[in-house]
Amino acid sequence: MAAETILKLDNAMKIYILGGRKNAKKAQKAIQKLQKAHEKLSAKGQNAPAAQLKETLKQAQLLFAQEKYEDSYKTLTGKTLKKRRDRGAVVHALNGVSLDIKIGDLIAIMGPSGSGKSTLLNMLGLLDQPTAGQVLLKGQNVELIKRRHLPEIRSKELGFVFQSFNLVPTLTALENAMLPLKYSGIRLGRRRQMAKEALVQVGLGDRLNHRSNELSGGQQQRVAIARSVVNSPSIVFGDELTGELDSKMTADVMSLVKKLNKKGQTFVIVTHNPEVAKVCRRIIYMKDGRIEKEVKR
Amino acid sequence: MREVLRNMFRRKTRTLLTVFGITIGIFAFTVMGSMAEKINLLVSGGTKYYADKVIISGSESLFLTAPLDLRKKAQIEAVDGVTAVSATVYTTLSEKFDAVSFGPPASIVGGERAIEEKYETFKITYSAGRALKDDDQGKVVVGSDLVKKLDAKVGDRVKVRGQDYEVIGIMNKTLTAPDNTVVMTLTEAQKIYYGELPEIVRSSSKPQNVVNGFTVYVKEGVDPNQLAQKINDEVPDVVANGPKAFQDQIASATGIFNAILFGVALISLIVGGLSVINTMTMSISERTREIGIKKAIGAKTRHIMGEYLSEAALIGLFGGLLGWGLGALTVTAINTATQSSGNVIFLLSARISIFAIAFAVILGVIAGFYPAYHAVKINIVKAIREQ
Repeated sequence: MAAETILKLDNAMKIYILGGRKNAKKAQKAIQKLQKAHEKLSAKGQNAPAAQLKETLKQAQLLFAQEKYEDSYKTLTGKTLKKRRDRGAVVHALNGVSLDIKIGDLIAIMGPSGSGKSTLLNMLGLLDQPTAGQVLLKGQNVELIKRRHLPEIRSKELGFVFQSFNLVPTLTALENAMLPLKYSGIRLGRRRQMAKEALVQVGLGDRLNHRSNELSGGQQQRVAIARSVVNSPSIVFGDELTGELDSKMTADVMSLVKKLNKKGQTFVIVTHNPEVAKVCRRIIYMKDGRIEKEVKR
Repeated sequence: MREVLRNMFRRKTRTLLTVFGITIGIFAFTVMGSMAEKINLLVSGGTKYYADKVIISGSESLFLTAPLDLRKKAQIEAVDGVTAVSATVYTTLSEKFDAVSFGPPASIVGGERAIEEKYETFKITYSAGRALKDDDQGKVVVGSDLVKKLDAKVGDRVKVRGQDYEVIGIMNKTLTAPDNTVVMTLTEAQKIYYGELPEIVRSSSKPQNVVNGFTVYVKEGVDPNQLAQKINDEVPDVVANGPKAFQDQIASATGIFNAILFGVALISLIVGGLSVINTMTMSISERTREIGIKKAIGAKTRHIMGEYLSEAALIGLFGGLLGWGLGALTVTAINTATQSSGNVIFLLSARISIFAIAFAVILGVIAGFYPAYHAVKINIVKAIREQ
């Protein structure tokens, strides 16, 4: 496929926004590279080139967001998912849900308690198995993957942020952020470096050695977000990630989510909070285990 | 590892109590194991010593010292299958039987050195000086455990039963009976033994005719047990014992003693192991959500299992090191206190030490296995919902 757009940054850097999943990843990386270059220039006080770079970055992000991907470029698909629970009577926690998640998506799943939001998230996050239907990760049926390989997929491809008590209390922020890298088998020096970068990215570069009881609720969620993106996963799932936070901290965390999404990180967030949903580009409303409607913004 | 240590001490009191549980078990194991080790070496030395000879005494027991007439020696030598006979006198070093002894008490032994040197297969070496000869009147050789008690140095004089003797040799440690022995010439031992006998016995004999044992060296190819029976049949008023008698009287008794000692230690260790299971199970139920999160972000079975097994192994290791350390201190303190009386009770060998610590770690791992397996099996979705 030919390049659709070329952005000339300077003599050395070019961004190619191409079609195709592979190219989307490349584009994501290029945008991240631009972001870093911009941060570097700003830190050095070179305001004019930094401003120019910011403009280029915006254009690149816009192009990336506008890029139309074909079906095969979907990163995760849930096909007619069903989850049946026997609690005396049979309850369909999910009743035929189908959903495509594309690279760069920022999705909110909303609905009343018991509507199946968290169950859907657990299915898509490979934490639970559907009673019927399929989950396709990058086109591959997850059901066909051996169960013992699922932890590896979760550590490399998926990130998770939960509602509260999200961090391991005996570990520092840095050690918490290093956990998925440890489980992916990355060597210590490299994972320390990567976790440090992720924490700097979420604005906690000065809290590396603090434990969770030394951090505010918002800071703890930032560490959890850093931990979820440290491995550059395909998707980050957030289950009520602002549920325990006040409105200021919620806005703070969501602006971070937005910032990371702009860099190309895909997010799927289950929430009750309309303020959180407002930040997202796709809002999926669920009721009685089904998708009631989807709003694109 | 740092994380495992931090997790261990989240509940300091509980962890320390568990560590102490193991400590008590390993302490008991170290002390009792050291006691058993000492006994076992004594017995194995004895087994080796008695293996190829017949011991003759005046009573049924190998270790009671009824008087015998030296003239019996000729009758014993005449029995077919006997190569040589050494008359021996064995008595306690202390005039009064004043100390509870562990193993054979500190003793005086006199024998026919020339015969023993020629036929004895249980060879003794010397850390200083030389072996005793039959004409070394007024001279003694001292066993390694009695050096401190007698303040013995080669060339110095020591007091034995009120008499001065010149020390001409110090034996190397054998870890069995000779360590606790003063060796002198037969005639001098006879004089001491004669002095101990009741007046009625003394009035009917002379010191040079009284002994309380014979060591019979056996011809090649002859079974010492059969020869003992033959001597009993052919020589009146003596009791001959072959190696089997030693096995029957001592080795089997120490087997029971060992079993009791290890049984006590084992019970302590089972209690320690149960407390590890309890601690780890509690700890895992408190960390269910944390385990769920770790599994959600990619922790594999080996990560979770490794984390909890390492924690259990560390509890075992700390308990083991502490128990072994306390045991080693106790053993050393008691040995030092009793050394001056020539009574060494414990032998803390390298194998007991290594086994004690390794056993504590293995116990921790085994005890931690069930809780760790339980942690691995935790359902992620349920665990994450737990508050």
